[in-house]
Amino acid sequence: MNRNEEVQRYLRVRHRASYTYSAPVPRTYGRAIMLPRDGGGQRVLASRLAVEPAAAYSNEHRDFHGNRSTFFQVDVPHAVLGVDATSVVSVTRRQARPERAPSISWSRAAEVIHTLGVPGRGTPEEHGVGEGAVTAIAESTLASPLVEMSESVRGFAAPSFGPGTPLARAIVDLAARVSAHSGEATASELAHGYIACMRSMGQAARYVTGYVCSAVDATGVALRGTGALHAWASVWVPGGGWLHVDPSNDQLIDNRYVVVGWGRDRLDVTPLRGVTYTEDLAAASVDVEVVEVEEAEARALAEELGPGAPAGVTAVRL
Amino acid sequence: MTDLLAGYRAAGPGHDEMLQATGAAREAWGRLADLAGLADARQLEWRADAVENLLRSHGVRQGSGPDERPWRLDPIPMIIDEVEWRRLDRGLAQRAGLLDLVLADLYGDATLLSTGVLPPELVLGHPGFQRAMHGVLRRPRQLFLHGADLARNADGAWQVLGDHAEIPLGMGYAMQNRRIVAEVLADLYRHARIHRLGPFFQKVRHAVAQAAPRGANRATAPGDGAPRAVLLTPGSDSPAAFDHAYLATMLGYPLVHGGDLEVRDGRVWMRTLEGHEPVDVVLRHVPAVECDPLDIPPAPGASHHRGVPGLAEAVRVGGVTVLNPLGAGVLDNHGILTYLPRVARALLGEELLIASTVTYWCGERAMCSHVIAHLDRLVVRSTLARSRAVHGWELSIAERADLAARIASQPHLWVGQEPVEASTTPTVHDGALVARSTRMRTFAVAGAEGYEVMVGGLARVTLDSTDVMAPGTRAVAKDVWVLASQPDAPAAPWAGWDAEPRVADSPAGLDRHPSVLDGVGSGRSARALPGGAGAPTGATATAAIAPAAIAPAAAERFFHLGRQAERAESAVRLLRTTVVHLAEPTGSVGGEAYVVLRRAVEQVLGPGSLGELLADASNDASVGHAVVRLARHARAVRDQLPPQTWATLSWLERAIDDGRVLAAGGDFDEAVFSGVTARLLEGLLALAGIAAESLVRDAGWWLLEAGRRIERARRLLELLEALLVRRLAPGVQSVVLEALLQVNVSFIAYSRQHQAWASVESVLGLLLFDECNPRSLTFQLRRLQDVLDHVPGSSARAREDLVGGVVALLGEVDLRVAAEPDAEGRRRELGEAVRAMRWRLDELETEVVRVHFARVVSVPWGDGVPGGAVGGAVGAERQGDPR
Repeated sequence: MNRNEEVQRYLRVRHRASYTYSAPVPRTYGRAIMLPRDGGGQRVLASRLAVEPAAAYSNEHRDFHGNRSTFFQVDVPHAVLGVDATSVVSVTRRQARPERAPSISWSRAAEVIHTLGVPGRGTPEEHGVGEGAVTAIAESTLASPLVEMSESVRGFAAPSFGPGTPLARAIVDLAARVSAHSGEATASELAHGYIACMRSMGQAARYVTGYVCSAVDATGVALRGTGALHAWASVWVPGGGWLHVDPSNDQLIDNRYVVVGWGRDRLDVTPLRGVTYTEDLAAASVDVEVVEVEEAEARALAEELGPGAPAGVTAVRL
Repeated sequence: MTDLLAGYRAAGPGHDEMLQATGAAREAWGRLADLAGLADARQLEWRADAVENLLRSHGVRQGSGPDERPWRLDPIPMIIDEVEWRRLDRGLAQRAGLLDLVLADLYGDATLLSTGVLPPELVLGHPGFQRAMHGVLRRPRQLFLHGADLARNADGAWQVLGDHAEIPLGMGYAMQNRRIVAEVLADLYRHARIHRLGPFFQKVRHAVAQAAPRGANRATAPGDGAPRAVLLTPGSDSPAAFDHAYLATMLGYPLVHGGDLEVRDGRVWMRTLEGHEPVDVVLRHVPAVECDPLDIPPAPGASHHRGVPGLAEAVRVGGVTVLNPLGAGVLDNHGILTYLPRVARALLGEELLIASTVTYWCGERAMCSHVIAHLDRLVVRSTLARSRAVHGWELSIAERADLAARIASQPHLWVGQEPVEASTTPTVHDGALVARSTRMRTFAVAGAEGYEVMVGGLARVTLDSTDVMAPGTRAVAKDVWVLASQPDAPAAPWAGWDAEPRVADSPAGLDRHPSVLDGVGSGRSARALPGGAGAPTGATATAAIAPAAIAPAAAERFFHLGRQAERAESAVRLLRTTVVHLAEPTGSVGGEAYVVLRRAVEQVLGPGSLGELLADASNDASVGHAVVRLARHARAVRDQLPPQTWATLSWLERAIDDGRVLAAGGDFDEAVFSGVTARLLEGLLALAGIAAESLVRDAGWWLLEAGRRIERARRLLELLEALLVRRLAPGVQSVVLEALLQVNVSFIAYSRQHQAWASVESVLGLLLFDECNPRSLTFQLRRLQDVLDHVPGSSARAREDLVGGVVALLGEVDLRVAAEPDAEGRRRELGEAVRAMRWRLDELETEVVRVHFARVVSVPWGDGVPGGAVGGAVGAERQGDPR
C-alpha cells in the first residue's frame, strides 16, 4: 500500500442519474442519498441536488446512519427523471497506517464489541466511542438483508484471522485476499463479501458508498471505481475508530476518496430510488465525474452552488 | 350453585374462573347460573343458537379467502369483579406507559441499548425496528393503542403472554361480542352492573383528535375545524376485515386503502370522487412494511401496491400522525419480555405490576443453551411477526433437533417460554358446560393523564384444547364482564352503545322483513351505530370528525353492488316466470312457451340447469354467484351500510344454501324452487328498501343507483331480444308476452291500461316508452341522466353522450314498424335497435368504471428494490377483480 503525499485536495463531484420511463408518468416520489457528509477528513464546501422536472416538494434530513437523505416529489407528467448532485469537497484524509493502529487482536476486539454497554464490562468511553456509537457498532455485527453469514464465508475469512492476529493486520490481509479473488465482481459485491467475512468473525463492519477520483498515486497506479458510484467497507477497531478499507483497490482510503454515506449494506445507502405509477420501467443511466480542482476554483464553485450542508434542493434545468 | 352445576368440573390443576370466584364475582356467577340456565342443557343450546343466529345476521366473520368463516362466540361471558379489575387496570396502564417510554427511547437516543438494559441485537436485529422512523417519534404518548394478551395462571395471578403494538386487533370484535351477549343474556345484563365498553371508544376518538398535527400542518375540515382521521385497512380480503370495518363505523372514520391516500407537499390527502381532502390522522391497521414502498422496505414477497409512497416522510415532517406509529411493531418482539422487569426498573424505578410469561431470549448465550436443553418442555416461537408457537413436547426427537439447529443459526430471532396453565372458564360445548382455558386481550389507549384501559376485553377459549398458548383454529370468543360497584352514570357518554337490545333501529320497514320471517328473533339488530353524521354530541364534540367523502375504491363497490343486486333480482324473476310453465305438456301452447322462455333463460343468463342457474355459485350466470358478489361488495363498504344489511345478506345466503339441493341434480322440486326464489325476492326487495330509505345520498349512493339502472336497462333489452325478435304462433306469443310483463313487474300496469289481449306493439310501448313505469327503458334512461348528474367527476361529457345516444336510438324506434315481423318472421328493426342500445350501455359502464374508479398502482424502482434494480413486475395489478 502506498501513501499519498499530497495532503489536501479539492474535488468536484458530479453524480447524474436518470430514469427513462417507456411512457410519461404522472408523478414520482424519490429518495436520494447522493450528497457527501462531513467528517472523517473531508469537508463539504458546497453541494446541490437538482431534480428535473423540478420537484414540487423536497426535504433533506439525516437518516438513521447520519447520511444526508433527500426526499423529493415530482408532480408534473414526465418521461425522464433526472437527478443531478454536485458537490465541492475538501479532502485532507491521510491514509491510515495499519502498523500504527491499536494492536488489539481480532478475538479481543470481538469480545469488546459484544460486551459494549453491558454493565461491568467497561463503559463505551473506555473503548473510545460515544454512547450513540454503541448501536452503530452493534448493528454492524449483525446479518442484514444483503449480507448473509455462512460457513463458507467464515471459511474464506479464517486464514486472515490467525490466533492473536491484530485486527488491523487482519483487515489489510483480508482486503488483499478479497481483491485477489475479485474477478469480474463489482465494487459493491466485493464490499458485501468483505463485510460478510468480517461480521462472520465477530467484527463490526459497515458498507460505505462514495467516489474516487482518477488521480494516480505516487507509484502511478490509478484507482478502480471511477466513473461510477464506488463502494467499500469500514471496520471498527476498538480504540481506533472506523477504518475504511477498499477491497476493490486493496487499500485503506486516502484523500482521493469522497465518502457519501454508510449503512448496514447497499439497501441503506441506495443513491436513488423512487416510486412511480407505470406498467413498465425502462432504462436507468448513471454518470459520475470526479475532478480535482485548484483551491480558487473550488471556492468559486462553492460560491456558485451556495452553502454546503445542509443543502436544500434547488430545481435547475439540466 | 354447586348443585345446579354438579357436572361442571375444572379440567386441570389451574384456576377456574367460576369455581374459584369469590365475593362479587361469585355472586355474579351464581346469578348467571340461575338466569342463563347454566345447568339446563336446553337453555344452554338455546342461548348458543341465539348467539349463532345473531352473529350470522350481523355478518360477523373472521379469516379471509378459503379460510373465511363465521366468528364464533360463547354465550357465557368471563366475569371479573371490580377489585380484581382495578389491579389489572393499574398493571396494564403501567405496562402501556412503560412500552411507550421504550418506544420513544429506541427511536430516539437509544440509551436502553447503549447502556445494555436491552441487548442491542434484540432490537437492531429485529425486522420490526424501522430505521426510517429514527428521530421521528419524539412526542410523548407515541404508543397510541396497546393490546395485551393475558392469562391467569394456576395460583390465580395474571400474567401477560404478549404485547400488541403494531396492530392491536380486536376492539371491534370486543364491542360486537358485547352487543350480542347483552342481547342473548338481556335479563341478566340489565340486572348486573357491568362496566360499559362504549366510553372507551369515546376516549379513542378523543385521543385521535389530540394526536393530530398542530398548527399550520393541521387540516381543517369544512365548518368545524376538527381534525380528520381515516382508518387504513389492507382491504376487505384481510383476515380481520370485520374488525377494521366495525371499528371504523364505531369511530366514524372512513375506511380507506393505501391507494385512496396520496402524499403531497408533506401532507396526506384522501382521494375522493370530489377531489382531494386533507387527512390529519391515519389509524393504521396495515403492517408497517406495507405502508410506504419508498421508505419502509417491504417484507420479502410482500406486494407494494398497498402502500402510500411518502407516508413516512409526511410523518417525519409532522404533516400527519400515524397511529400506532410506523415502527411500533418493534414492541411485539417476545424477546423484550425477558428484559421488561429490568427496563421497568431503569425507566420507571418500579417493578412490573403484572409479570410476563417467563421468556428466555435465545440471543443471550446462556438462555439459548437453556432453551435448547429444555426444548421438550418449552413453548418456542420466532420473534418475527405472525409466527406460530411450537410446543416442544409435541415434537419428535428429529423435529427437536431441526428446531435447535434453526434456533442456533439465528438465535436472536427466537425465544423459549414456560408453558402457561391458564385459568378455565365455563364454556358451552355440545350442549354441556365444559371448562376451557381462557386468554384475554385487553386494550389501552393513550390519554392526557396516562393510559386508559378498556373495562372489558376480548377473551378467547380453545374448544379442542385446554392449552391457552395453542394456536387455536377452533378458538371461540367470549365477552368479558367487569362488575361495577356503581352503575355507569346514565349520562356517561356513549355508555348506551353497548346494548339496548330491544331498540328498534330500522327506518325502513322492509329491511326487517327477512328476519321476521326467519322466526329466530334476529331481527332485533343492535342499535344503529353512531357513524360520521350521527356522531355523539356534547361532551364528545371536541372529538367530532367531519363526515367523509367517498374514496374511489369504495365508490366502485357501490356501483357493482347496485349492478349485482339488479342482476340477482332480474334473474330470480326470469327463473320464476319460466318455471311456471315447466309442467305444461310438450306441444301445448304453454309447452311451446316454456321452450321459448327456457331458451331465453339460456340466452340472457347463460348455460346451466334451472337449479344451477339459481343456486350454483360456481356458475357465474347464476343468482348464487350474483349474491356472493353482492355480499363481497357490501362487506367491502361495511362501514357505510346500515346494520340491517347484514341480516338481509345472511337471509339471501341462506336461501341460496337451501336452493343448493336443486343444483345438485336429481329431480327438480318445484316447491323448493318456489320457496327459495320467494325468499330471494324478499331479501332483494329488502336490500332495495335499505338502499332507498337508509342510505345517505352521497356519491356512493348515486353510483349504486347508476349500477342498478344500467343493469336493469340492459337486462330489459336482452329479454326483448331473446323473446320478441322472432315471430311466434299467436297463442304462444300471448303467453310469452305475459311472461315478459311478469318478469318486468309490469303485468298489472299493462292490465290496467289495456283491456284487450296483449300485443307486441302495446307491450313494447309499456316497456320501452312509458315514463311512468319504473321498469321501462325510458324510466331507466331518465333516471341515469339524473343520477350521473349527481356523481362528481371531471369528464362527464362522454357518459352523457352515451346515455344521450341510447335516448336518441330509442327515439328512432317506431313501434308499429318494430312490432311488425318481416317475411322471414323476424322483427329485424327491433333487433337492431336493441343491440345498438345495449352496446352503448356496455360502453357507458366501461366509461363510468374508467373515469371514476381508475386506480393508481405504485411501482418502486431503484437499487433499493429487493430482487432487482429496475423492474415493473408488479405492474398494473389490481386488488382483485372488483366486479
